Amino acid sequence: MTSVGSHPTETGRRDVVLAAREVAKHFPIKEGVLQRVAGHVKAVDGVSFEIRRGQTLGLVGESGCGKTTLGRVVAGLSEPTAGAVLFDIDSETLAAYDGGSSVGDIETAHKVDALTGDAYRRFRRNCQMVFQDSFASLNPRHLTIDIVGRPLRVHKEASGSGLTERVVELLEQVGLGRQHLYRYPHQFSGGQRQRISIARALALDPELIVLDEPTSALDVSVQAQILNLLHELQQANDLTYLFITHDLGVVRHMADHIVVMYLGTVAESGPTSAIFENQHHPYTKALLGASPDVDAAEEFTGLEGSVPDPAHPPQGCRFHTRCPVATARCGWEVDDVVRWIEDEPGAAGRLAGVKRDSAFAAELAFDDAATAAVVVDAIRSGRIHASMPEAVLKAESRDSRVDVEFGAVPDVELSVRGPGHVAACVHESLLDL
Amino acid sequence: MVDIPHKLPAVAPSTESALRVRLRRVRELSASVLANPTTVLGFVLIVAMISMAVFAPLITEANTPDPYQMPRDWGALNEPPGTDGFLLGTTNTGGDVFYGVVWGARTSLRLSLIVVGITVLVGVLVGSVAGFRGGKFDEILMRLVDVFLSIPELIFALAIAAVLGPSFGNIILALAVVFWVKYARIMRAQVLHVKANEYVDSARIIGDSGWNIYRRDVFPNAITPIIVQATMDMGHIVLVGATLSFIGLAEAGLAEWGVLVSEGQAGISAGRWWASTFPGLMVFLWALAFNLVGDGLRDVLDPRTETAR
Ligand SMILES: Nc1ncnc2c1ncn2[C@@H]1O[C@H](COP(=O)(O)OP(=O)(O)OP(=O)(O)O)[C@@H](O)[C@H]1O
Ligand code: SF4
Ligand SMILES: [Mg+2]
Repeated sequence: MTSVGSHPTETGRRDVVLAAREVAKHFPIKEGVLQRVAGHVKAVDGVSFEIRRGQTLGLVGESGCGKTTLGRVVAGLSEPTAGAVLFDIDSETLAAYDGGSSVGDIETAHKVDALTGDAYRRFRRNCQMVFQDSFASLNPRHLTIDIVGRPLRVHKEASGSGLTERVVELLEQVGLGRQHLYRYPHQFSGGQRQRISIARALALDPELIVLDEPTSALDVSVQAQILNLLHELQQANDLTYLFITHDLGVVRHMADHIVVMYLGTVAESGPTSAIFENQHHPYTKALLGASPDVDAAEEFTGLEGSVPDPAHPPQGCRFHTRCPVATARCGWEVDDVVRWIEDEPGAAGRLAGVKRDSAFAAELAFDDAATAAVVVDAIRSGRIHASMPEAVLKAESRDSRVDVEFGAVPDVELSVRGPGHVAACVHESLLDL
Repeated sequence: MVDIPHKLPAVAPSTESALRVRLRRVRELSASVLANPTTVLGFVLIVAMISMAVFAPLITEANTPDPYQMPRDWGALNEPPGTDGFLLGTTNTGGDVFYGVVWGARTSLRLSLIVVGITVLVGVLVGSVAGFRGGKFDEILMRLVDVFLSIPELIFALAIAAVLGPSFGNIILALAVVFWVKYARIMRAQVLHVKANEYVDSARIIGDSGWNIYRRDVFPNAITPIIVQATMDMGHIVLVGATLSFIGLAEAGLAEWGVLVSEGQAGISAGRWWASTFPGLMVFLWALAFNLVGDGLRDVLDPRTETAR
């Protein structure tokens, strides 16, 4: 270990370094001159997980699903809108918290955005972060020695020649050296810059490092080097990682546990081996780009369509707009019909208005009766989606209007699929696909 | 890009230090500023004109009691340039044009330094607080900026100076009131832009204080457009100041280029070109010189070209 001096407050070495409980982060959408709040981007919408000491949690999902937002909340850079991030807590206490006992006391002692004074400082030094963009994360006007030495200065751990020696030590740990002390960030390659970021994150000898796509901006060959480095450092320094990536392959060999996120929520989560053996969510399958059964693999080789707007996430299962095996119970709603109309050459532009009673029931007004009839037919015949006729309670046209109503479906909950393995999907026989 | 750690020119580590590297960087930056001939021209002009302002009492004897008032020789009206004792001629009230040109440089330097000094200070302060802190203060500031920007700066300054009454001090005040808003707006935008960089988050992550983050990360990376703008305004403000003087908002008889141009314009139709031309030329050169240097600085200080080097 490279630590100099002792921590002001030694951590208790509790087994759960960090736990997220129903964490949400909603960004207000402001509109107009008066900057009225017109809605919220639900970037993260109720995510729970825990990271055990010395382990790596892989947080995986497509662009825009809220990984960075969640990582920033975890690292204490932004406050959650709801839910709690608990730091350095033992399993029993966490179980008590989940059971609802002494919630207040536990939050005072462990909830990141409630920590103050020494406890906050202890969290601050023990939770570091490495960002994707190595250029943006290093001040272009600072020399390597300033960048890597800064945490030591801030926490008054070293100064003068002691500081220089500590920085050299840190640089050597990440494969750089004394000759790099007095260089500016732009004088390094992307991989080297990422090494500097890692050295800075290591400086305070932290317990947890949030790695936000630390390699995705790098060349493939350099990626492997950095991944190896991270792995070695984890072994040597007893580090715990939250590893954020959009590429399941990257974390396959690093993560002990994987959380797959879709549109701000957890689609599936479980031990890495379990996830790679059996995906219980079509989205995970799609991310893997492979299914155990080659014949059925066809429909899983890629993801079609775009990620829906996180300000208006789909009902039921958030993935139902893109799911290749969606069923009648997956949350079909008015928006699905409206989206189809907007893309349908015969109907696009003829929709005059939508009067909603709920997400599941509305009156659609069209320019003419013919279009209304076409839409009703599309809903009933399964042209919009094969499972829609089964889900629809009412689809009737009155002149140029259409009354449509679907059975209301609650948000699909996570259910247990194995030890520590959960998935949010209502499909009965996904494993047979 | 291949990751080769030791590809860069090796320097003997023992002799290297942060100070040396920074000095080298300053040298490199100055060299690249001076590599541009138009920048050098602007720079030479500035040095010449500022020397003229600083050494005015040595170049031509100060008028008493107030050296900023034109000396009058009622016995030498409308003398052409080259007349004995009047290198650039005299005005129709016997004012020495050469004296006006030289001491006008001093007046202009005073004007531009005071106005740019005050407006940059106030603007950077206000813009920094608004951008860094955000919140109510920021909202109020942005409303104020909108109001200010809806009025053309010359008209605004003119109105203020007119209300305060004709004096050069009031012109300085009016320009200061008008110009800080521009800096506040630039600085606010810069601070917001810089604040979004992950190196600011990185500094928060290691637990550094807000003030340190402002001082070490935000300010140094936000300030360059202010430096460029301030350089340009050193010229621009003299132009605006001269315009206000020209239309009579300064004291009569002041050794100031705008006042002189105004005084001499009546004689132009009668062929007495010199009383207006020389001070007018000075205003032009002054504005041009700072503009050239400002342009040169912008090219060099632009962070994109800077990092590309
Ligand atoms: N400060 C913000 N204000 C408003 N919306 C935001 C903000 N930050 C993120 N978002 C939105 O929240 C959603 C999630 O963004 P986030 O950056 O967390 O995704 P991500 O999974 O990290 O994606 P990527 O792989 O592209 O990095 C996006 O729709 C994004 O536009
Ligand atoms: S619940 Fe399962 S089957 Fe239904 S849409 Fe979601 S992922 Fe697809
Ligand atoms: Mg991201």
